[in-house]
Amino acid sequence: MIKTMVFTGLFLLPAAFCAAQPDAQFTSRVIESAPAPQGMRGTPLNLPDISVIGVFGGYVSDDKSDDARNKLEFDEVETAFQGYIYPKMRADVFLALHKHDDGYEAEICEAKVSFLELLPGLSAQAGKIHVDIGRLNKSHSHHRPMADQPPVITNFFGEHGLVGQGVALSYLLPLPFYAELQGGAWTVAGHHHHIDDENTAEILAVDGSTVTVPVIVESTEFGVADKTYTGRLLASFVPGPRTELLFGLNALKGRGSHHDHHRDDVKISGADFTLKYWPSSYVRWTFQNEWFQLDRRTASAHMIRDGFYSLLNYRWSKYWDAGVRADYSENALPVVSRERVYSAILTRHLTETTHARLQYRHKNVDGDKANEGWVQLSFGIGPHSHELE
Amino acid sequence: MKKILMALAALALTAGPAAAKLKVMTTTSDLAWLTQRIGGDRVSVESISTGDQDLHFVEPRPSMVVKLRRADMLVRIGLDQDMWADSLVAAARNGKIVYGAPGYVDTSVGIKVLQVPTGRVDAAMGDIHIFGNPHYWLDPANSAIMARNIAAGLARLDPSGAPVYEANLTSYKKELDARLEKWREAMAPLKGTKIVTYHNSWIYFAGAFGLEIVENIEPKPGIPPSPAHIDKVIRTMKETGARFILVESYYPMKGPGMIAEKTGAGALRVASSAGGLPGVKTYFDVFDFLVGELSR
Repeated sequence: MIKTMVFTGLFLLPAAFCAAQPDAQFTSRVIESAPAPQGMRGTPLNLPDISVIGVFGGYVSDDKSDDARNKLEFDEVETAFQGYIYPKMRADVFLALHKHDDGYEAEICEAKVSFLELLPGLSAQAGKIHVDIGRLNKSHSHHRPMADQPPVITNFFGEHGLVGQGVALSYLLPLPFYAELQGGAWTVAGHHHHIDDENTAEILAVDGSTVTVPVIVESTEFGVADKTYTGRLLASFVPGPRTELLFGLNALKGRGSHHDHHRDDVKISGADFTLKYWPSSYVRWTFQNEWFQLDRRTASAHMIRDGFYSLLNYRWSKYWDAGVRADYSENALPVVSRERVYSAILTRHLTETTHARLQYRHKNVDGDKANEGWVQLSFGIGPHSHELE
Repeated sequence: MKKILMALAALALTAGPAAAKLKVMTTTSDLAWLTQRIGGDRVSVESISTGDQDLHFVEPRPSMVVKLRRADMLVRIGLDQDMWADSLVAAARNGKIVYGAPGYVDTSVGIKVLQVPTGRVDAAMGDIHIFGNPHYWLDPANSAIMARNIAAGLARLDPSGAPVYEANLTSYKKELDARLEKWREAMAPLKGTKIVTYHNSWIYFAGAFGLEIVENIEPKPGIPPSPAHIDKVIRTMKETGARFILVESYYPMKGPGMIAEKTGAGALRVASSAGGLPGVKTYFDVFDFLVGELSR
């Protein structure tokens, strides 16, 4: 019943309601000087561009052990403050309230200063940033063509992807085709084991006495943390007037998010390949693929893990697109598990920042299967913008 | 060795004029055509979008960044019609074409913009442009102002070519005046004719030739029509006797075709920019085609 109501509300009602909205009042005037681009307009109060993105949705699953299933709630509310602070220098601050377990956590999603042209072809960013590694990590969740996150990103970079505090330098190589080289140095927040007073064990000390110590269990969550260095090369080629090919190579050197306890060093390498084809003004085919390999060394183990996803998306009109995605990902833990996921995604776009989405996902983790579904409404108020992706 | 050096010097001298050409990127095909007319042999011009694309819906691509990176000048429609160019300019890291730089030309300067919203504006009103209706190039008379802005931009970057740009501007205006006279003559019998348009993009064209727009197929700019709104369009067309439906080549013809069948009006698939339809290759072709279709 809830699903039917949500579907009807999200997909059918907006067009019917628009007729009841007020009309704008108009006049005419001569343009005396070029209007400034968005983010440079200011106001009499010199305010930045302010916008809000909300992501509301429902998640269902036939996996009865999944605590998050069968809920309809806000996943995220993001507020953005964006504007120029100096010629060729802008600031973007994204503050978010994220759903986390049973509550909401406030965090700085991104807060960065961008130096658009330090030297010819060279730009830089400093602050807390969604690191430019692979195709999806850089984009905010509401900006992705899917409701979930591919398992390879969750398994290798963490639940929120790789978000670091640091500096990135980007250089547009002086070549006849698009080729951008980027390097970044980051500090990434790690996870700290919660030491439970009740989860203890008694061990024999060297003097023969018995002492009580906390038991630390290997977490099922993994991410990259601490001092991290990243590099990415993105190149683009135009095989035809309506086609674009993008190739990316990625490298990362850092530590695991539980380095305090596991002393693990991490290297990640990867490649991505995207083909976009626009047969006409609104119609677009996108074939996007990302592969990562994780090399994790602890004091007692050396793990090599692989993961990838492959997404085919077809936009057949200004308002609709559909996609299918296949995922394979190993986890980053000593006991390897293999996750295979197949998804089907349908999106109805209302505006650039507002869409309704349905997603079905079949998941198979070492033979444990689950069917999952999302219904999602992402809406935007105000001039919200992201960098070219 | 001497011969090689002399050959290289000769090559450099002959390559000089070509290398000195101003590289201009434009956001639309009409602006590319216009810039080429004004710049002549002194410029090389390329458009980011093609004439068959919906300008509200151009997807920025990395390959466009490379072209903007090398450009000396950017010519844009402005008024938020080509807002996607902002992210490309930021990614291109080219100080020559950023807002306020000598190589930044917004052709809307000096244009009398229609439908400038007053009071509160929000998304409930559809895709309203806060600076007013940006489809000003569809009044061909406005192209004289656009051409003047382009000539001024070229002269800023290439002062020695200023007399050439001025002469080309004068020649352009002369040809435009002759064509305007011809188009007005052909459209004179249609003065007062009521029309319907798919998107709210034809008010400048309608104003230029005395047509009256009685309804848009989109209930609000950028909002797809509901069945109830299509009924309203049909009723309005029957009541007012509207004779034509203008549909840009990138919009679907199914709805307008159905409305045309029920009202007896003609649904015309037209180009709103050079390259929008086969045979519509230049900015002047846009109006030759439109006037030809309407006055047939």
